[in-house]
Parts: sequence; C-alpha cells; structure tokens
Amino acid sequence: MKKIVVVAVLMCLLTLPVLAGAQEKYPSKPIEVVVPFAAGGSTDVLARLVGKFAPKYFDKPLVVVNKPGGGGITGTEGVVRSKPDGYSLFLGYGSGHDLVTPHFQKMPYDTFNDLIPVARLSVHSIVMIIRGDAPYKNMKEFVEWGKKKDQVTASVSTKAGSVDITFQAVGKATGMKIVSIPFRGGAESVTAIVGGQTDCGGNHPSEVISHIKAKRLIPIAVALENRDPAIPEVPTFKELGYNIVAVGSVKGVAAPKGTPPEVVRYLAERFKKVCDDPEFIKAMKDIGQPVMYQGSQEFGQYLKAGFEQYGKLIKEFNIKLE
Amino acid sequence: MGKLKHPGPGFLPFGLACLLIALALALILSQWKMGNAKAPFWPEGTWRRPLLGVGVFILYAFLIEYAGFLITTFIFLVLWLWVIEKINWFRIMAVSVAVTAVLYLIFGYFLEVPLPAGFLA
Amino acid sequence: MGEILNIFQGLADGFGIAFSLTNLTFALIGAVLGTIVGILPGLGPSATISLLLPLSFKIGSPVTSIIMMAGIFYGAMYGGSTTSILVNIPGEAASVVTCIDGYQMALKGRAGPALGMAAIGSFVAGTIGVLGLTFVAPPLAEFALKFGPPEYFSLTLLGLVMATLLGGDSIIKGLIMVVLGLLLGSVGLDPISGAIRFTWGFHMLQEGIDFVTLAMGMFGIGEIFYNLEKVLKTELVTRKISHLWPSLKDWMDCKWPIVRGSFIGFLIGILPGGGAVISSLVSYAVEKRVAKNPEEFGKGAIQGVAGPESANNAAASASFIPLLTLGIPGNAAIAMIFAALLIQGVTPGPFLITEKPDVFWGVVASMYIGNVMLLILNLPMVGLWVQLLRVPYSILAPIIILFCCVGVFSVRNSVFDIWVMGIFGVIGYIFRKVGLEPGPLILAFVLGPILERSIRQALLMSAGSPSIFLTRPISGALMTALILFIGFQIFMNRRKRGQREKI
Repeated sequence: MKKIVVVAVLMCLLTLPVLAGAQEKYPSKPIEVVVPFAAGGSTDVLARLVGKFAPKYFDKPLVVVNKPGGGGITGTEGVVRSKPDGYSLFLGYGSGHDLVTPHFQKMPYDTFNDLIPVARLSVHSIVMIIRGDAPYKNMKEFVEWGKKKDQVTASVSTKAGSVDITFQAVGKATGMKIVSIPFRGGAESVTAIVGGQTDCGGNHPSEVISHIKAKRLIPIAVALENRDPAIPEVPTFKELGYNIVAVGSVKGVAAPKGTPPEVVRYLAERFKKVCDDPEFIKAMKDIGQPVMYQGSQEFGQYLKAGFEQYGKLIKEFNIKLE
Repeated sequence: MGKLKHPGPGFLPFGLACLLIALALALILSQWKMGNAKAPFWPEGTWRRPLLGVGVFILYAFLIEYAGFLITTFIFLVLWLWVIEKINWFRIMAVSVAVTAVLYLIFGYFLEVPLPAGFLA
Repeated sequence: MGEILNIFQGLADGFGIAFSLTNLTFALIGAVLGTIVGILPGLGPSATISLLLPLSFKIGSPVTSIIMMAGIFYGAMYGGSTTSILVNIPGEAASVVTCIDGYQMALKGRAGPALGMAAIGSFVAGTIGVLGLTFVAPPLAEFALKFGPPEYFSLTLLGLVMATLLGGDSIIKGLIMVVLGLLLGSVGLDPISGAIRFTWGFHMLQEGIDFVTLAMGMFGIGEIFYNLEKVLKTELVTRKISHLWPSLKDWMDCKWPIVRGSFIGFLIGILPGGGAVISSLVSYAVEKRVAKNPEEFGKGAIQGVAGPESANNAAASASFIPLLTLGIPGNAAIAMIFAALLIQGVTPGPFLITEKPDVFWGVVASMYIGNVMLLILNLPMVGLWVQLLRVPYSILAPIIILFCCVGVFSVRNSVFDIWVMGIFGVIGYIFRKVGLEPGPLILAFVLGPILERSIRQALLMSAGSPSIFLTRPISGALMTALILFIGFQIFMNRRKRGQREKI
C-alpha cells in the first residue's frame, strides 16, 4: 500500500515539469501562418510582407505556409482542426470562401464559430477594369457598349468567388449579360484581361496597380462603400448609380476556436504594431494594398456585417450558382 | 453534364470513357487479327518476386505510421534484402543501417521533413 | 541603332553588378541548391524558393535575391534530367520526355554521354534563352499575351497528339494511355464548376493526384516491380559502361537538335503556364521526324535527349520574360520570385527596365553566369553518377523505392500518398508487361487539366460556338498545323505498311 502511494506521488511530481513547460511564455517557438491560396497571390504577398516586419515586434518569427486548394477551404480547414495553442494561424480571414461561399454551399466548418478573429490587416476591394485601348473609356460607355452585345465576358479569379458574385450583380444591375470566365487565381485572370481575352475583368487593386500605372488597364468602378484609399481616383459603383456595395475580400488573421484569450490579445497587439510601422505602410502602399487595421472585436463585427452584405447582394440581384 | 454552350464537370470524363471503350475494343480486335501466340503472362513462377516486393511495400506503408520512419525503413530493407534478394547477413545489416541513416539525414534532418515518428513520438 | 547600343550598355552594367563577390556567391548557392532540388524527388523549385524567402529579406538587395532564386529555378532543370536518365524517374513534368531515350541509353552503358549531352544542350539552350531575353523580350512578350484559352487549347491538343507518338509501336496503345492520363488528370476538385470528381470519398484526393505520386509510382516503382521478375544479381547496366563523354558522332548528331530545341523551347516557354512540358514534347516529335535514324528513337537515340533537354532549359529562361517585361508570372516558381520582388519594393513590369535597370540587367547578366556555373558543376558529376549505376541492382532497387516513398511523403506529409504511389506502381508494372508505355499517360495527366480548362473557358467566351478555335488567327494556325501533322502521320503509316506488304 505504501509503495503505491510513493509511486503515485512520484508520478505527480514527474508531471509537474511537464505542466510547467506547458505554461511557458507565448510564443516559445515560431508561429505558422497559413495562407490558403497559391504563392505569389495578393494574400500571400501580404502575409510575407507582414512576416518580413514581424521580427521587429514579435518575439518569435512568423513562418508563412501556403496550403492552396478548394478555393481556400482546404487550408483554412487545416487551421480550424489544429491545436488552438496560437502556433497555427490563418491569414486571409474574410476572403471569398468565408463571406461568399457559405451562402451557396455547406461548409466543412463553421466560419464564424470555429475561428476567432484576431485582427484585420487590409481590405482588398473589387475593382472593375478594362483594357487601356478598349473602345469604351468609363463605366457609362462600357454599359452602353455592353448592352448591345449578346454577352460581355469578364475574367475572374475563381468561380463563385467574391469577384464573380459581384460581377453577376453588376450584370443584373446594368442590364448587361455578363458571363464570368474563371481562371486559376488573380495572376491568371489579370493576364487574360491585359491580353484582351475578355471584355473586362475584376481584380483587387494590388493585382493591377502596376498595369494601371502603365496605362494598360483602366479601373472604371470599385465595389466598396467609400472609395478605396489605394485607388482614390476610382468612383464607387454607388456613386455611379448602381447599388453594388460589398466588402471585397477582407484580409485578416484568425485563430482556431479555443485559443487562449491572452494569446489572441498578444497577437492583436503585435499585429497593430506592424500596421503602425511607417515602413510597412509605405511598402503596402507601393504594392497597392491599403493598411486597414482593426482589433479583434471590431474585426469580428465587420466580418459579420460583410457576410450579411453579400447575402443581401445575392438576394437582391437573385444570383444563383449555375 | 452541361450543354456545349456551358460544358459541365461531367463533360470530359464521359467523353473520355466512351473513347476509352472504343479504343480498347480496337486494340482487342487488332490483336485478335494478328493472332498472337499464346505466351504465358507469368512464365515459370516469375510472379513470386514481384509479389514479395509488393508485399514488403504494403507492409512498409502500413507500418510506417505506427512504428515510425526509422524502425520501419530498417525493417523494410532487412526484409527486402533477405527475402527477395537473398544476400548475406553482414551485407544486409550494413546496408540497412547505412541507408536508413542517410535517408533520415537527408530528408528528416537536412530538409526538415516531418517523418512519421510512430509510437516513439 | 540607339536601341541596340542601349542594350549593350545595360548588359555591360549588368555584368558589372553580376560579377560582385556577393552576387557570384549567391548565384552559385542558387545553382547548387537548384540542382539538388531537381534530383531529389518531391521537393520542387517553387517550394524551395518559398522556403528561402525569409532569407532573401536578410540579404536585403533585390538583385541578389533574384539572382539566387533564378539560380535555383534553372538549376532544378539541370538536375531533373539526371534522375530521368539514371533511374527512369522524371524529376518534373518537363523531364518525362528525357526518360524515354535517356534511360535506354543508360541501360546500354551510355549514361555518361546522355548526361553529358543533356548538360551541354541545357547550357547552349540556357544561353540562347538569355540572349533572347536580352534582345527580343518586349515584342515577344506582347505576342505571348495574345494567347488566350482557345490558343492554349489548340497548343495543348497539339502537344497531346505528339505525346501519343511516344506510345511505342502502336498508335492505339498510345491513345489508350493518353485517354487514361486525361481521366486521371480529372480526379479531384473541378475549378470551373466546383464539382468533385472521382474521389470515392477519399478526402486526400480532393486536390487531385499529385504529379510526383504518379510519376514515382508508374515510372519508379513500376519499373522495379517489373525488374523483379528477372533475378538480376548484377548491375542494372549489363553492358560495359563505355566512355564517359559523348563521342564525335554524338556531337555531330546533336548539334542541330540542340539548336532546334532551344528555339522551340524559347518560343513556347514564353507562354505562361505549361511551356516547358509542351516544348519538350514538340522537340522530341520534331527530332524524330527529321532524324536520319528515327527507328532508334525510344531505344536510346541521343537526339531524343539533347533536343528535349535543350527545349526545357530554353523554356525556363523564357519564362522570365513575361515576369520581367510585363509583370506576369508564368508558373509557380516564377510567382514566388514575383512575390519576393514585390516585397522588396521592386515591381516587375514594363517599367522595370527604366526604373530599376540594375535589377533587370543584373539578373540577365547573372543568368549567363549561372548557366556557365551549372555546366562546370554538372559535367564532372557525370562520372559520379555513372558510378552509381555500378551498385548492384539488388541493393539499388529497395533504395530507389525508399527514396520514392520519402519523396512522395514530403509533398504533403501524407502516408496516403505512399499507398497511392504503390497502387500506381502495381499498375505501372502490369502496363509494362502488356506493352503499354507510361510516358504518354503522364504527359496527358499533366496537359489534360490545361486542355479541359481551356476548352471550357473558350466555349464560355464564344457562347458555345466551337468555331472560335479556327477563327482566331493563332489558334487557327495551330489547329491547321495539327491537322497537317495528323494527316502526315497517316500518310507515312500507309506508305510504311505498303512497303512492308511489298516485301
């Protein structure tokens, strides 16, 4: 009997160091940031840029990992199912697969309850662009031209993504028959519109800013509540008379449900510091991505509002997935 | 499947399946016309070694998640070299240890691939 | 005239930049890394570049970073052919064609000349590619922009038809393999409609079958299972390993294939996406057509190695053109370099030459240097690789299998992939017994998704009218070439059969 007690006490004592280890200060090792899109895309560039400035403000490095697939769902699901210890984060929270896809299909996880919003980093709006040498120069002329055609082709980055849905709404609102041609991501769809393969295209400002500077592409409208600070000369759809407002593709950081609140707070604080760094702001401006930080609470609310906004858009314009 | 105007996801697989059936028939017909001699598919028990190879491979794929990379790879090499190639024991041991170590160094250590650790985790 | 002078001025500046000690060192690091990556299964150049991105921040200078990454990229092209020749396992899709004659040469004791010629061809092609990049980049890039879905469809179809030629003697067998490859390529999530195909509930199959898994399985494992039938106690190469260097005849045979391959690779490589694979196919078909000894192809014709290898290296150089002149990345590895540049404040695009000439010319100059470095690196290694073939096959075989297993595992950290590879191994074994060549299958597997995507995009663009493939000039030209090609093949076959009957 005594022996058992001794053994039991010894076992308890042995577990103490393990428990102590578990209480180590966060972060004690590099933090993995999952980008569920292909390398080189706008989300990936954002993540890597943040990763570049992170060592100044985070105690351990941020390691960016690409896990593309399923329109973003595969990589995100990986984070949802990972241990909520703060070492596995998802960057890109608020993209098409979070705000648009759940309106159309059943998701393998609950976008709002299985993930904790940590911080918003940027908003990638949806801008409609046309070729520089097209026979139409602005939205008004484009609509006039487009209404006479059998169909107007638009290059989009993913089928049923935020851009696709927005453009279908545009079609219904303007009376043009817009047919979306899906490509594999932003880079491919930009190539298509630059090459004149389609009549117009929908992209995020960061994807087309260099082409706009080179006058190869002209932005004619942006689907946001107010003008996008990255392209302030472009009017919103609202200004032009079409009630198409959406949040575009929101880029924020999320952690799996169950992550300790202190960890979330730490992350939100540090991300804010990165977003306040003037060099970071300049670098982001150069690539056409506005720095738009929001803390966990507001970010969560912003996301829910954005989700509902898409829902309204879909309902109002009766958008269906074919 | 979709119409031509709007091809759906089933379009290609269906077309391919039809094509495959047609081609297979054509192949069978052409072979039949040529009247190939009845050569045995597996002459003289040559199926033994490939089957053993497949068997050891299956064992490897199965064990690796339970026993981890190091142990399973070692067992794989020993089994393969012993049962299939039948070389002497000394060689088997030397090669098995060396190769397992080198593979671990290159992939596990140098490239930091998270190799399965099995129950040693 | 002023244009040409500007170019030479820029090049001179570029060499000045490229010859700095830092840049030379990083070019070397990139080249070595790239070669290793090309040889090792599983890890590809784009994954490597993404791993090294944080390092590139520490380096600080965008020129140096891109020099290193470019080195990795075409170093991988050099390395990929090594495994194709030695053990019949393609390092990446562009090296599949090299397996066909390369491996046969190795079996005949001619691995040395094969490896050597591959390296030399790659060097010449890389140089021609960089020359092209220097002088004709902008207009060619504009041309590349005109390629839309209909053009990609026609080009890929042409490539696929050429792939059936690799099916050995029987066209029907070649076609069957192509169709099977296309079916395998459609496994997984369909990007255009979002529907999931052929996964039978296996979650891991949702992304489709990975190229590495299929290649290692069909080529590597399949070959080993097949060889198990014979009790090979000796080396894989039963004939005495003859000279390490290509013979004089080899040089004569290869000089034109290398030049032709370089041009073919360069032109097709400019097109974003899939350029290297298609160019290697076209080069192989062209060489087989113009060779004085076409029967040798498939049995170890050195032109079948020199041409495609030159093509895929020229394509690698050419894929930088859309990036540097238009700011459009053509494939995954280039996309990583694109991201790296963006983060360092360099925006690739039409303004790159004028705003940051040091980056542009520094990179171009370093590509010349890189090619030289790779040649110097690879040639002495030929001797080393050939020694590898001296290892008794009884020991080599399980090592190859393990290499494949770990390689396949490292792609997605999944044991499931090992099982899938094993299944393809068994299938590959049976195919070999029946006389079905895996080459066309895997090429169709790679090209299939491009083909399907393009035709659906094209039909969407034309509102269902198939005439778009003929009415657009480039697509129409390609389709015509295709029809002529098929017609020519049929004609030649009839003639051959007629001649045989006369005997």
